[in-house]
Formats: sequence, structure tokens, C-alpha cells
Amino acid sequence: MIDKIYGSSRIIEKSLDACWLREEVISQNIANYDTPGYKRKTVSFEEYLGEALDSKNRKNVNVDKIDIKVEEDHSNLSMRLDGNNVDIDSEMSSLAKNSIKYNVLIQSLNAGFSRFKTVITEGRR
Amino acid sequence: MGFFSALDISASGLTAQRFRMDTITQNVANINTTRTENGTPYRRKAVIFEEKSLNKPFSEYLSESSSERLVGKGVRVARVVEDQSPFKRVYDPGNPEADEEGYVLMPNVDLVTEMVNMISATRAYEANVTVMNATKSMALKALEIGK
Repeated sequence: MIDKIYGSSRIIEKSLDACWLREEVISQNIANYDTPGYKRKTVSFEEYLGEALDSKNRKNVNVDKIDIKVEEDHSNLSMRLDGNNVDIDSEMSSLAKNSIKYNVLIQSLNAGFSRFKTVITEGRR
Repeated sequence: MGFFSALDISASGLTAQRFRMDTITQNVANINTTRTENGTPYRRKAVIFEEKSLNKPFSEYLSESSSERLVGKGVRVARVVEDQSPFKRVYDPGNPEADEEGYVLMPNVDLVTEMVNMISATRAYEANVTVMNATKSMALKALEIGK
């Protein structure tokens, strides 16, 4: 039981780490909005998490082994003359998305803890 | 993963954009300067940015954690270059700087370009402020874990 609670909270922790790293990457992209030749960076985590949870032995997923990868995005190279491919609008929207996600994760972490607390206090407050 | 490195990155963006703004101010202030220290009219200055700390020595490169190495540490001003485009020739025989034919060499500062750059710098500054506030509220939200 306790294992289960901590198991899911470890996944949330890892997701929080990924979110924070993505926040750093977005700051880096926006700070380098005027840097010639800069290529925007992305964080990929959700796909690796999905893969790990889809696999057959999902009962014992090793959370530490799930990758959080930072990659350079070379997909739309021709967007600007200076070789920079940062699109400020998409960065801003992923910034908003990312903070909402961070808040959601923290809320669900807290919800898990408060359920746990309810059990410990036998439903009394 | 430093907890405040996202804030540092945004701060470096703010510094860089402010520096760019200073340069634009200098260009606009000198739009009519026909004589500088080296005798020529004022040349327009432009700022070149570069990503901070990605070209490190190999030994240091390996010792950093991979996420730190890949995210980078923000932006910095690489150098300030002078715009080498030709000066404007303006017919103004009454000007003491005029040559025999009555033409004066004016700085190669274009007011419209400077204004556009100024707006661009302001917007980029605002974008960095927005990111900084988002980071701050996320960091504060993290303090609510377990409350």
C-alpha cells in the first residue's frame, strides 16, 4: 500500500523535474530570441514515460531509468534570415502550458498525500 | 539542476536586451553627430548576441551534468559591431563640416530601423519578464507540496 502511494508520487516527482527542466529550456529559448544561429531546444519526457508505463512489466517501472532528454530542434530552419528558429508565440504558449502542468502535478501530489493522511488519522481530522 | 538557473537564464536575457536598448539609445542620440574621435561621422552600432557557455574546454564539458550542458546558461552580448554601410551625403553648404561641393557626410543611422529595433528589444524584454514571473510562481507553488 505504502509502496503504491510512493510509487505514483515518484512518477509525479519525475514529471515535476521534467517540467522544471522544460521551464529552463523555455527561458533559454526566449532569452536567445535574438541570437543569430541559435536553434530552439525541446525537452522530451512524456513519450518515454508513456513507453515505460505501456510496457508489460508496468508493475515495477524503474522511475529513475526514464529519460528526460534535451534536444535541439532543427526542423524549421528557414523561418528567419538569421538562422534562429525560435517562435516567440509557440514558446509563450508552451510556457503557459508548462506552468499549468506543474500546478496540476503539485495538486495531484498533494491529493495523494492528503488521502494518505486521511487513512493515518482514520478519517478523523 | 539548479533551482534558480531558470531565473538566471531569464535575467541574462533581460541584461542582454537592456544592453541592446542602450545601444539603440546611443544610435538615436547620435543621429546628427558628424564628428567623432576618429574624425568620421558617427557609425551606427549593432549588438550581436551569443548563447552563453556552450563552447567550453573539453575537460569542463565532460564534468557538467548532461541537462546543464544542453540547456545552456542564457545569452550574452558577444560583441558590439559598427555598421559599415556608407554614410548619407546631405547637401548642406552652410554646415561648417561641408566639403567643397557643399555636401556633409551624415551618420548611417536610420531612425525607422532604430525604432523598429527598439520595439523588438522592448518586446523581447517583456517576454523575458513573463518567463521570469512564470518561473517564480512555479517555484512558489513547489513550496506548497505537502501542505
